[in-house]
Amino acid sequence: MSTQDKVTINKLPTGVPGLDEIMGGGLPEFSFNIIAGAPGSGKTTLAHQFVFANATPEHPALYFTVLGESAIKMLRYQQQYTFFDPAKLPGAIRFINLSQVVLDKDLGAVLEQITKEVEKANPAVVVVDSFRTMVRKPQSDMELQAFIQRLALFLASWQATTFLIGEYAEDELRDNPIFTVADGLFWLRQTPERNSIVRKLQIVKLRGQDSVPGLHTFRITDAGVQAFSRTFGLTGHAKNPPSHRRLSLGIAELDKMLGGGVREGDSLLVAGSSGTGKSVLATQFIAEGIRQGEPGIVAVFEERPQAYAERAASLGLDLETPQKDEKLSILYLRPLDLSVDETMHSILDAVQKIGAKRLVIDSLAGFEMALSPGFRADFRESLYRMIFALTGIGVTILSTVEVDESFTEFPFSTYSISFLTDDIIRLRYVSIDGQLRKIMVVIKMRGGNHAKDIREYEITSKGVVILGKRLTNYQALISGIPIHSDRSNPTEEPSLDTGIEHKT
Amino acid sequence: MESPALRVYDKLRQNLSVFAGIAGFRSLASRALAQARSEDPGLGEVRVNEDGTLQGLGEMEHQIELDKAAGAEPTNEPSIPLIASLLGLLHIFLGEALTASLLRVTWPGAVLDDCNSENGRKA
Repeated sequence: MSTQDKVTINKLPTGVPGLDEIMGGGLPEFSFNIIAGAPGSGKTTLAHQFVFANATPEHPALYFTVLGESAIKMLRYQQQYTFFDPAKLPGAIRFINLSQVVLDKDLGAVLEQITKEVEKANPAVVVVDSFRTMVRKPQSDMELQAFIQRLALFLASWQATTFLIGEYAEDELRDNPIFTVADGLFWLRQTPERNSIVRKLQIVKLRGQDSVPGLHTFRITDAGVQAFSRTFGLTGHAKNPPSHRRLSLGIAELDKMLGGGVREGDSLLVAGSSGTGKSVLATQFIAEGIRQGEPGIVAVFEERPQAYAERAASLGLDLETPQKDEKLSILYLRPLDLSVDETMHSILDAVQKIGAKRLVIDSLAGFEMALSPGFRADFRESLYRMIFALTGIGVTILSTVEVDESFTEFPFSTYSISFLTDDIIRLRYVSIDGQLRKIMVVIKMRGGNHAKDIREYEITSKGVVILGKRLTNYQALISGIPIHSDRSNPTEEPSLDTGIEHKT
Repeated sequence: MESPALRVYDKLRQNLSVFAGIAGFRSLASRALAQARSEDPGLGEVRVNEDGTLQGLGEMEHQIELDKAAGAEPTNEPSIPLIASLLGLLHIFLGEALTASLLRVTWPGAVLDDCNSENGRKA
């Protein structure tokens, strides 16, 4: 069958930010869906958002309430959400209570009542809340199966997109006739983790739609449910071909050590202990980008944007003007109870808003600490997904990470996140001639030559300044306690290796 | 013959029962009746039936009509404070906008100008 012979399935907006992307573009029109989850997981709110997003006087919604939360109380609370538009009642949205017929009669009578109301209103959207209470009365599996089948058939024939809402436990998922009939099954979970509540949403099934698998974080705010796709909404974006362009870090000698700068679209990690100049280097990277006409984002966790900009000013770098010109955004993220995905969505939103080409995350340790404990387990995985998604569209990322310094070891990172990065620059203290001095070395550059030199640097009023020559008169520099070995004629220029990648 | 106020109550009962369920409406009506009794103790004899209809109010209003015809001092219809209480409860629970929406189901053509409210906003 050719493409033009196939029926087009319209996708309806869910009214839930982020959920359309997770569903693969929206909810299939005329589908028969179930929203399942424990009490308080946001099922009714999600259904209301869909209803308010789609119902019109010409294509109204019927919202059947059954036993459970009373309609009056439900509307009392739901109207607090910003999506709730009272003007849509009663023309576009009608609430009908089925409690009496459920209590007094059988499923056949319930179906008859729903049929009568649907034929009268000709709705485009039908919700039954809570469906679970309707099917709790003792009846055979066959009766229940027949009821569901007839309800689904009737509502689809009447061109209604339907939601049945029910309180279900996870172990009820198997062999349940309701779930078998449904076109879409959306499971909402909320689990306490230490002092936080983690809310996750899963599209267990969605016929005819390429939904994003897995568990997606969601949040309920005064705007209702907001979902955060595991793929950060970038699944539809074309990946940029690998770039050969090199970006300057604003430190000419370091650019040379990197073989001409960091490759566009790379993820660069700057690791070092406290005070080694990681943030200064990151600031120079972002300021150089602004100078080159590349908008940037700085996500800071350990100081406020004003302090960050003032520190940059002390290095002669103006971050105030580009902020006013919307070429730079400094995000102060201390989410505490936010999930890692929500935080990363904030960064992504900022990146997309100003078309950022460079991103600084300062620092990964601060980022992780700022998260609620319950989300820290997801941190690395989410970070990996975000870095992968952003570098895929050509954003160059510089992350800083604090490393516990010791004078016996030289860890590249305490984070085991080397796999997240294409390039690593390591900064460290070293004891030389009775002074605590600083050295840097390029540990790794994926797909490019880089200098093997260990270079001394200083942090001055101009930022990170790499001193003239590589250190040749010392052995065991990276231990931090080098041994002096008197060698003359050090090489003037940094030497590049021959493309050997350093395994980390 | 049923008084206009009772007819109003009955229309409210029918339409609010669709929205809130018969049990939901009955609960509201019981509360409204309890509040209205403080204004008109004569409502003490009135009861809310299982289906939300009122028992005893029709007889009360009929008696008032008979008394009026016999030249007695005119008194207020006892169903009016009851309806006012009922609408007041809806206003408390749902707010002005939603209450007005629900009333438009019952009286689609009604112009719900809230001229007596404190802020004078349109309902």
